[in-house]
Amino acid sequence: MDVLTIRQLSKRFGNKEVLRGLDLTVPEHSIYGFIGRNGAGKTTTMKAILGLLKPDSGEILCLGEKVCYGQTHTNRHIGYLPDVPEYYSYMTPLEYLKFCGEVCGMGKADILARSNELLALVGLGQDNRRIRGFSRGMKQRLGIAQALLLRPRLLICDEPTSALDPAGRKEILDILLAAKEQTTILFSTHILADVERICTEAAFLSGGRIVMQGTIAELKSRRASDGYILETLREQDARALMNKSSTLRLTEQNTLVFHGGENEYFSILQYIAENRIPIQRIERIEPTLESLFLEVTK
Amino acid sequence: MRSFIAFMKKECLESVRTGRLIILMLLFVLFGIMNPAIAKLTPWIMEMFADTMAESGLIITDVQVDAMTSWTQFFKNIPLALIAFVLICSDTFTREYKSGTLLLVLTKGLARFQVVLGKSALLFSLWTLGYWLCFAITYGYNAYFWDNKATGNLFPAALSWWLFGMWVICLVILFSVLLRNNTEVMLCTAAAVLLAYLLSFLPKVNAYTPAALMGAVSLLGSPGMQENLNTAITLQKPVIITVATCVICLAASIPVMNKKQL
Repeated sequence: MDVLTIRQLSKRFGNKEVLRGLDLTVPEHSIYGFIGRNGAGKTTTMKAILGLLKPDSGEILCLGEKVCYGQTHTNRHIGYLPDVPEYYSYMTPLEYLKFCGEVCGMGKADILARSNELLALVGLGQDNRRIRGFSRGMKQRLGIAQALLLRPRLLICDEPTSALDPAGRKEILDILLAAKEQTTILFSTHILADVERICTEAAFLSGGRIVMQGTIAELKSRRASDGYILETLREQDARALMNKSSTLRLTEQNTLVFHGGENEYFSILQYIAENRIPIQRIERIEPTLESLFLEVTK
Repeated sequence: MRSFIAFMKKECLESVRTGRLIILMLLFVLFGIMNPAIAKLTPWIMEMFADTMAESGLIITDVQVDAMTSWTQFFKNIPLALIAFVLICSDTFTREYKSGTLLLVLTKGLARFQVVLGKSALLFSLWTLGYWLCFAITYGYNAYFWDNKATGNLFPAALSWWLFGMWVICLVILFSVLLRNNTEVMLCTAAAVLLAYLLSFLPKVNAYTPAALMGAVSLLGSPGMQENLNTAITLQKPVIITVATCVICLAASIPVMNKKQL
């Protein structure tokens, strides 16, 4: 079942057309990476899903219910973590979660149990300080706790790791992985290493449209190969090969990198066979999301 | 209803922990003490300046002060208290727009009208509490030093000013949901009050504008005077208009808030 369906979403700010007919489908129990450059329209899309922004055209369905602008009922299915979450700084984390629970009409015992469980999950269980003194990483972690409080069917995280140090990033990604058991996660980012680490599916946003979407394996298989690394046993063979083909580039003493077409590749192999050049290794360069990203968002 | 109570609890906690409640109450207590104090000190001040004034030809004889002097001070000072109240409290919405704190609560399913009603209820309570605290302190001192019974129409006059304060708060709420910035909210509120005040100079409109409530001090006088009774009757129309505009402002704020981009 699809948790989220977006059809032909368009939004323009003044002269700038940010979204031009965006289509996106997020299946249940996935961690969906929403990838795009800065200013590509990721936050705009997320705000539209939450009814915080009025799209010019298109429709958004959350669990089959239509999202309306302003006061929308679909938000009860959604947990939201903004890029820079802000809380009532005079409260402690537990007080904040209690307040959120009461606002949403949860039972008293449930609020307490759930708050303690989530604060333990995000590693803020022992913290009785007021939020005022929290670091950015701590605020992000509290953000995940508050977003998961209502057991949402969809968790939307807007660049949760972008402003964090490597340790903070790892913590957030681990928490999101743990949260996968409970919910579907839509997660916007421009850090591709994060996507490769935790996402099951991803979509690339460019020019206001989704230019590619699918599982991580599918996306990677779209590009057969990024080329080959060819290492000869002797240095002079590497030089000779380089003179033979312009598509070969010398990277080390006897290592060459090949970026080119199939015919070119086989003609090089033929040359190696004919001249009986001893080879140390030939290795295919695995396509990375990064190279794919750069290619599709060109 | 539960979410409204939760939101109200948060609003109360906020005014306590951010120190807003203490500041406001201190302010109103200070004003409450100041009114009788100024009245009590007037003869003494006059005496001090008597010599200087005599040189310029003004001869001060026995200065009489009573509860009426103190109540006149009360109505002179209360506009300042209202301005201070607006300055301190008018950012209750805009502060949340700016910081983005409201965003998380609204995406959790808190109805937007509850935000408007919760914040309004707190502002009304703070104003009511502070205003009547100030009134009670002045009343207590006046009863101790002089006699409040000598001041006729005291409660209608005090109620008028309290109602005028409520009207200004309703304007603050309406402008807060219409605009994003606290300065804009304060400027528009001030402009609206000024407009009402200027309209009150027009003889035909005077009987209808909420600004007529500001002239409540003219109600004060000796008890039982026919003239005072007449003044009370002329205030009926501004009271009705004021209550009506308050309701309209609040009712209009809700649909505006429902469609506000945050």
